[in-house]
Amino acid sequence: MSKASIESSSFANIQARFTNRPVRLSVEGLAKSYGSGESRVEVIEDLSFEVHAGEIACIVGPSGVGKTTLLKCLAGLHPLTAGSAAIDGRTIQGPPAEMALVFQDYSRSLMPWLTARQNIRLPLRHLKLGTTEEASRLDEALEVVGLAHAGSKYPWQLSGGMQQRVAIARALAYRPEVLVMDEPFASVDAQTRFELEDLCLQIRQDYDMTIVVVTHDIDEAVYLSDQIVVIGQKPAIVTEILPVSFPEPRSQFSTRALPAFAEARTHVLQLIQQAR
Amino acid sequence: MRVLLATDTTSNKRQRGIPRRALHICLEIGVPIVLLAAWFISSQRSSNPFFPPLAEILNRFHELWLFDHLHSDVVPSMSNLVLGFAIAVLLGVIGGVLLALMRPIAWLADPLIHFWRAVPPVALVPIFVATLGYGNETRLVSIVVAAVFPTLIATVDGLRSVDSGLRDVGRAYNLTFSERLLVVNLPAASPMIMAGVQISLQSAFVVMIASEMMGTSTGIGAMTLLAQQSYASADMWAGILLLGTIGYAANALFEMARARILSWYFKAQKQGAAS
Amino acid sequence: MLKLSRPPRLVFGIVSVVFFLAAWEVIAWSGLLGSSVPAMFTTLSHTFEFLGQANSWAVIGETVAMALSGLLLAIVAGVALGILIGLSATVRHGSKVIVEFLKPVPPIVILPVVVLVLGPTMGMGVFLVFIGCVIPILVQTAAGVVDTDPVALDSARSFGIGKLETTLKVVLPSAMAFIGSSIRITAPIALVVAVVAGLFGGGPGLGRLLMRAASSGQQTEVFSIVLVAGMLGLLFQSISVVAERRVLHWHPSQRVEETR
Repeated sequence: MSKASIESSSFANIQARFTNRPVRLSVEGLAKSYGSGESRVEVIEDLSFEVHAGEIACIVGPSGVGKTTLLKCLAGLHPLTAGSAAIDGRTIQGPPAEMALVFQDYSRSLMPWLTARQNIRLPLRHLKLGTTEEASRLDEALEVVGLAHAGSKYPWQLSGGMQQRVAIARALAYRPEVLVMDEPFASVDAQTRFELEDLCLQIRQDYDMTIVVVTHDIDEAVYLSDQIVVIGQKPAIVTEILPVSFPEPRSQFSTRALPAFAEARTHVLQLIQQAR
Repeated sequence: MRVLLATDTTSNKRQRGIPRRALHICLEIGVPIVLLAAWFISSQRSSNPFFPPLAEILNRFHELWLFDHLHSDVVPSMSNLVLGFAIAVLLGVIGGVLLALMRPIAWLADPLIHFWRAVPPVALVPIFVATLGYGNETRLVSIVVAAVFPTLIATVDGLRSVDSGLRDVGRAYNLTFSERLLVVNLPAASPMIMAGVQISLQSAFVVMIASEMMGTSTGIGAMTLLAQQSYASADMWAGILLLGTIGYAANALFEMARARILSWYFKAQKQGAAS
Repeated sequence: MLKLSRPPRLVFGIVSVVFFLAAWEVIAWSGLLGSSVPAMFTTLSHTFEFLGQANSWAVIGETVAMALSGLLLAIVAGVALGILIGLSATVRHGSKVIVEFLKPVPPIVILPVVVLVLGPTMGMGVFLVFIGCVIPILVQTAAGVVDTDPVALDSARSFGIGKLETTLKVVLPSAMAFIGSSIRITAPIALVVAVVAGLFGGGPGLGRLLMRAASSGQQTEVFSIVLVAGMLGLLFQSISVVAERRVLHWHPSQRVEETR
């Protein structure tokens, strides 16, 4: 497999910020197909990559390449056809307790009959945290996403961006080791998108979370990532794994203006177009 | 089942001036009053045996239902309706949940459910009378059987059509079975379930009357039919008025309850329509 | 995921029907519910016998005729009134309270007076069916008319199309989905009311036959008639669903997978 191609000259100066930290999420030879016999459809042929603790990894690829399928496999929602995925070395068999998900379509991921606060509380109920701990987690999660005042609002009373913030707050309050997001900012406007991207970076900073983002937006992938996993072809394989490094902290203005940013996005764009 | 909740047909978006609105309110209240008055006056000296004066009908209404037959006839009818409806909704929802959860059982039950729902529920009343006798149980059982199917089918359909996104949230966050059922799936299905429950209420009401029209002499339905058969037309009209009022009131109460239970749904829909 | 294809599902269906029939036979045999439950085989053979007689078909025909003519009249009147209510705010508000009051009141409520005036006749049955169906059709039609896309209305107006023509070519087609679904909903109601008219009003058809069989204690006949009524009900349901699809195949509401 055309795995890591760290030798690409322009990225020779990356510092290994995460390689000395343990591997949190590992995917090895993952394959997924639907149906059987004649109607069998192979979506993913062979994917392998590793995400270290505290790292942000973006999975990019042309649309229809099976990114969402991969995510659902990682989240334990779909069984694998072959290979394995593991968190901290433990194979993922069902939805792992250490993982939280943010879905692409916020309108289909928040319960419209629950307020923002109740939605965030939903996955905490069975954890039996005790009222004070639970309340402080809820307050904190709402605070972090900037919705401290909107806890009693229903999702349909909030804008799209705010709804996605609620979904992120729900994931945060769950305190996962790994946060997995499926095209999380695809259906919000550009301004909100920048804000949410920065929120994502800040969360990693504050909680030392490992974050996996599936996106089709190359700029977003380059901006967020420590590592970009480019997948392509049908059925999907890893085209390239690309480490990304910019001066920290990143900012929408300075980071995006770096020549290295432009180089990286051009490189990824080429990869995706070849992979089509 | 499509949830066509024919809510307010009058809500048109165009802005109207205040006098226009006042006129409409006058129309809404005025027309029924005028019609009732017209009925009252035109029937005043009626000698038509079928259409007695409204004054006489109201008089009989007062004599019969307030409160002579209240205890002997109105209360039994109403308690059958309420009890039968409540049991049917409970059974319908529980049965619907079981059928939605256990596919093989649903496959087994599907053909039978679809056949029995197609049978006009009133046609079953004679069978219950024959098997269970003329007692009150017969009436109750008839109501339950007639009213259970709409709720049952709506619950199964509602649960089956819960958005896969919401389901995924429930699974991804490791919600327990009861959380997924009570906090995710049932609320998501509730608009559809409530549409079924409303049909159940109507069926229960029809069969309440029908079961009283078969061979018993107690209950509002029985009294109304007996009045007709003995050409006591004012009594019959009084019965019709009472039944009509009960039918209307039961539905109005239901819609109030639904507006409360599904307030999130109606508000979200309004929000969606506005944007 | 384990997914059973069509044949096993069909097997499940057949199994359940066989199971049901067997349970029926056991109940009849054991006398669990007294002697009032006739044996299954006897009833089924009686039902076939019933369906083999020209007389029975005349009776079924009477019920169907009452249901269909009442429904047809209700469609004509309901659509016309619904358009009127939908188009005119004055009529809409003037009729609001009356319609809201009558909507939840089933026709069985007024059955006594209808029977008193019209007698146990076919006309009584037709009238009762008409009353039972006209209100839902009217309400849905009006809702459909109010729901008409204002853009379509405006463009019709800007082309200088007359009021009547606009109604026929813009308003009516756009209300069609509502009208169609109201007919799908009311068709089974029409059948039920036609049976009720016979059962409690003495009108012709299956209802009266059922009443007579029940009051003379002919249980086999009662069960057979109920089975026939059920089959008729299934027929009405499936025809109305198919008809709605056929008539409205062009309409967007039919393209979206119905939440059924």
